[in-house]
Amino acid sequence: MFPRNAEVVIIGGGVIGASILYHLSKRKIKAVAVEKNELASGSSGACDGLIFLQSKKPGPHLQLALESKARFEHLQEELDLQLEYRNPGGMIIIEDEDELKVMDSFVEEQRNTGLDVSILDPHEAREMEPSLSEALSGATFSPLDAKINPILLTLAFISSAQRFGSKAFTDCEVTGIEVKSGRVRVVHTTRGKIETSVAVNAAGAHAPSIGKMVNVPIPIKPRRGQLLVTESVPPMVTSGILSARYIVAKFNSTLEKPQKGGISIDQTYNGNLLLGATREFVGFDKRTTYVGIKNIATHTSRVIPQLKDIHIIRAFAGLRPYTPDGLPILGKVEGIKGFVMAAGHEGDGVALSPATGALIAELIDIGSTHIPLDEFALERFHS
Amino acid sequence: MTEDIMEELRISTVKRTERIRISVNGRETYAYKGETVLAALHAAGYRVLRRDKNGQARGAFCGMGICYDCLVTINGIRNQRSCMFEVEEGMEIAIDEP
Amino acid sequence: MSPNKYDVVIVGSGLAGIVAANRLADYNLEVLLLDENIHIGGQILRRIPQNLGVGAGREPSQVRRIGFRFIESVKEKKIRVMNRTKVLGIQPEGELLIEEDEKRAYTITADIILFATGARERFLPFKGWMLPGVLSTGAVQILIKGSGVLPAKEILIAGSGPFLYAVAYEFVINKGTVLSVLEQTMLLDNISLIGRLLYQFPKFTEGLRYLAKLLISGVPIRYGTQLIEARGDTGLTEVVAARVDRSGRVREGTEKVFKTRALAVGHGFVPNIELPQLAGCELEYSQDKGGWVVRVKDDLETSIERVYAAGEITGIGGALKSITEGNLSAMGILHNLGKVSENEYISHLQRLSKERRHHLAFGKCLNTLYKIPHGAIRSIPDETVICRCEGVRMGDIQKAIANGYDTPGALKRILRVGMGTCQGRICGPVLYDILSAYREIPAHDIPPFSVRVPVKAVSCGSLIS
Repeated sequence: MFPRNAEVVIIGGGVIGASILYHLSKRKIKAVAVEKNELASGSSGACDGLIFLQSKKPGPHLQLALESKARFEHLQEELDLQLEYRNPGGMIIIEDEDELKVMDSFVEEQRNTGLDVSILDPHEAREMEPSLSEALSGATFSPLDAKINPILLTLAFISSAQRFGSKAFTDCEVTGIEVKSGRVRVVHTTRGKIETSVAVNAAGAHAPSIGKMVNVPIPIKPRRGQLLVTESVPPMVTSGILSARYIVAKFNSTLEKPQKGGISIDQTYNGNLLLGATREFVGFDKRTTYVGIKNIATHTSRVIPQLKDIHIIRAFAGLRPYTPDGLPILGKVEGIKGFVMAAGHEGDGVALSPATGALIAELIDIGSTHIPLDEFALERFHS
Repeated sequence: MTEDIMEELRISTVKRTERIRISVNGRETYAYKGETVLAALHAAGYRVLRRDKNGQARGAFCGMGICYDCLVTINGIRNQRSCMFEVEEGMEIAIDEP
Repeated sequence: MSPNKYDVVIVGSGLAGIVAANRLADYNLEVLLLDENIHIGGQILRRIPQNLGVGAGREPSQVRRIGFRFIESVKEKKIRVMNRTKVLGIQPEGELLIEEDEKRAYTITADIILFATGARERFLPFKGWMLPGVLSTGAVQILIKGSGVLPAKEILIAGSGPFLYAVAYEFVINKGTVLSVLEQTMLLDNISLIGRLLYQFPKFTEGLRYLAKLLISGVPIRYGTQLIEARGDTGLTEVVAARVDRSGRVREGTEKVFKTRALAVGHGFVPNIELPQLAGCELEYSQDKGGWVVRVKDDLETSIERVYAAGEITGIGGALKSITEGNLSAMGILHNLGKVSENEYISHLQRLSKERRHHLAFGKCLNTLYKIPHGAIRSIPDETVICRCEGVRMGDIQKAIANGYDTPGALKRILRVGMGTCQGRICGPVLYDILSAYREIPAHDIPPFSVRVPVKAVSCGSLIS
C-alpha cells in the first residue's frame, strides 16, 4: 500500500520530520514521511530530553524556542502517547571564574529580553539541587526549562498524525528527487516512487546527501554526541542540568577549552540519569568510545559526586546535525519550488520540534509564516 | 525481622571453616566465609531483597550475575548483586523490608 | 611484554576457557584468563570454595573431575588469571576495555582474543514469575554447589530439558525435598532423546543416575506439564501447573496446585554472544545450536581475524563440546601464531573436528527439546511481565506489535523492553520468540538486540580517570 503520490513527502522519521507530519495533518494536508531505518532510530533516539530556553542565543533562536515551549504546554492533550513532559526548571552550572564572567553577561543579555533567568551562588544552587558538588562557582536557573521523552515525542507525533490519515514508512530510503522546470516532481525511494510537489528535507545529519540529489550544497556536518545511561535510581536531580562550558562552546568558540567538554544531566521519568556529552566530528561513526565514556563519567561525577556509586547500564551516540552558526536551516530553498529545508538543529531538535513543525507546516500550507524564517534560510551560507 | 519460618538451609555435610558476623539492616547474624551474600541471606531467612520501582517485592532469580534482581546495599553502596559478592567479617548488608 | 599487553586474552574461564588456557600456556605465550565471577571454572565447575570449607566428598562426575584438574593445572602453570573482571567493550586492534574488581576500568591489548563466554538460562515467562522464591534452576545449582545452601527445604522444579533432573538430583542428595519435576515436553520426545544419548556415554550414565535417584526417592516426574501461575504476596506460596499438548496449549481442567515456597525454572540455554557481537563477529541463527551463535571456521576463528570463539557460544552442546572446543581453538591459535607444525595442526584439527561434530549432534537433540513451541508463547497471558527490569507486560508487547512496532529496536523504543540493567539478557530471547510467533516469520529474520559499550553495567566510579 505504498502511495504513488502525496501532497508532501517528508524525508526523515526523527523528531523534526515527525513534528512536521503531525502539524501538516492538523491542517488536513496529507503528507507521507519516509524514514530509511526506523522511527526515532537516529539522533532523536539517542539524545537526552532537555528542553532548555535559557541556553538559546537571544534573537530568532530564542524566539523559536519560546514558541516551542508554549506549544509543549498543550502537546500532551493533543498527542496520544505519554510524553513524560515535566517543567522543573533548568540549571546551567558554572565551574570556574572565567565561566562565571561569561555567564554573568549572557544572563544579563537574556534578562534584558525579558527571559526569566537568574544567577545563583553555590550555596543557593545546592539548596535547589542538594546532590551538586560543593566545588562549583555557581549556577544559573530558569523556571522555563523543561524535560520530555524524545523517543515517545517522536512516536507520538507520528501516531497522532496517522490518526488523521497521514502515513510514515520505515525501511524506506530516498534514492533520488526529480526536479523538472525548477520544481519538485517525484521522490524516489527503495520502496517505490512518490509523485509530489513538496519534499521536506528533515534528514538531520543526512540532510546534505538529500541536498546533493537536487544539487544544493547544505553545510550540515554530523557531530557525534555520546551519552551514558545509569540504572534507575530514586529522584536525585530535579532540574535539567547543563554546564556553562556547553554554552561557551556553542556560541563563543574563542573561549572554548579543548579537552574540557560540557556536560548535561537529565534524570528521566523512569529514574535513569542521562549523562552527556561529547561533541566530536568523526563522520558518521555512531560507536561509543572508551575515551568518550570516561570523560563523561569523570566530568559528571565531579559535578554530582554521588554518581560514582551508580552504575552505567548503557551508552549510545547520536549524530547531531551541526551548522556553522548554530542555527537550524529552515524554509524554502531558492531556485527549487517545493524543496523545503528543516534540518540542522544540533542538540536543539527536541526543544525546537513543535515550533519547527508548526512553522514548516504553515509555510507549506499558506506560503508564509507568522514568525519570519529569513534568519534560518539556507541562503545565509551562500556568500 | 526474618521471615516466618527460620529453617536450617545450610547443607549439613559441608564442613565449614570460619564463621563470621554480618549484619542485615543493623541486625547481627552469622555467615560463613566463602558463602555468597545471597547464600548467607537465604540461610538467615531473607529471600525478599528489595522493592522495585513499582513497589513489588523482589528477590534473586538467575543466581549468576545477569538478571540484576538480587540487588542489596553492601557497606553503604547500593545496587550490588548479592550473588556476586562473598561475605566478609563485619559486612553491613541493607535490604528493603518485605 | 609490557604490562596490560598479552599474546592471548581468554574471556571466560569455564571449561572451554581453562582447557584452551592450559594448552596455550605450554607454548611460552603470555596468556590472560578473565572471568567476571569470584572463582574460575564457569557454571559447571562451581563448588565449595576453599575458604568456605570442604564439600560432602561425593565422587564428582567425570566432567567435573576433568574440569577440576584443569583448574589445578591453571594454577600450576601460573597462568595469569583475573577474577571479578568484566570486559566492557572491544575496540579495533585487539583493545579490550575491562573493569577490574568493580573498582577500576582500563584497557588492555591482545594479539589474539578467545571468547569463551558460555551460556545463560532461557525462560518462559508465566504469571507471578517475579515473586521472591522463584529462582532459575541455575541459581539453585549455584547456591547448593557454590555455597552449600539450599534455597528452601522443599522445592518444585519446572521447565524443560535434562538440567531439571540434575538440579533435582542435587536437591535430593542434599536432603532437600523435590515436590515434583514438571517437564514441559512430552514423554515420548524425551525417550527418543535417551536413544540418541546412548552414544554420549558418560552423559548417558550420568543422566540415568539422576533419574534413578529421583525415582527411588519418590520424586514424581510429570511430562507435558507447564506452569500456569506462581502465587504469593511478598513471596511465593503456591504454584499452579497444568497439562499441555505438544503445541504448548493448556489442556482445560488439568490444573494442579502445589504448595511451595520455592520454585526453580529453566528452559535450556542461550549463548552469551554479546561480546563477540560487539567485536563485529558474524553471527548465525541455528535452531540446532540453540539460537543466535557465533559463526566460526573449522579452527574456531570467527569472521574477525585473530578473534576466536569456543564453547557454548558456538552452539549449545554441553560440557564435552566445550572441552573439545577449548582444545580446538587453542590449536587454531597456535597454528595462527606459528607455534605448531602444519602436520601437527592438521592431525589435531581432524581429530577434534570429528569430536566436535559428535557433540554438535548431541546439542541438536538437546536444543530440539529445549525449543519453546509457538503455542506456549501465544498462550502467555496479557498480564504476564516479559521484561522483568522495566515491568513490560505481554499485552503491551502484543498491542505494540499489532500497531506496527514489530522489530526488537522498535519495541525497545516504544515500551522500554530490554532497556533495564540486565540489558535485555533475560527478556531478549523471549522477545525474539514472541516476534517470531506473532509476526509468523522465522526467528533468523529477527536480528538480536544491538550491543554497545559497556556490555555489562559498570559503576561510574570505575570509569573515572
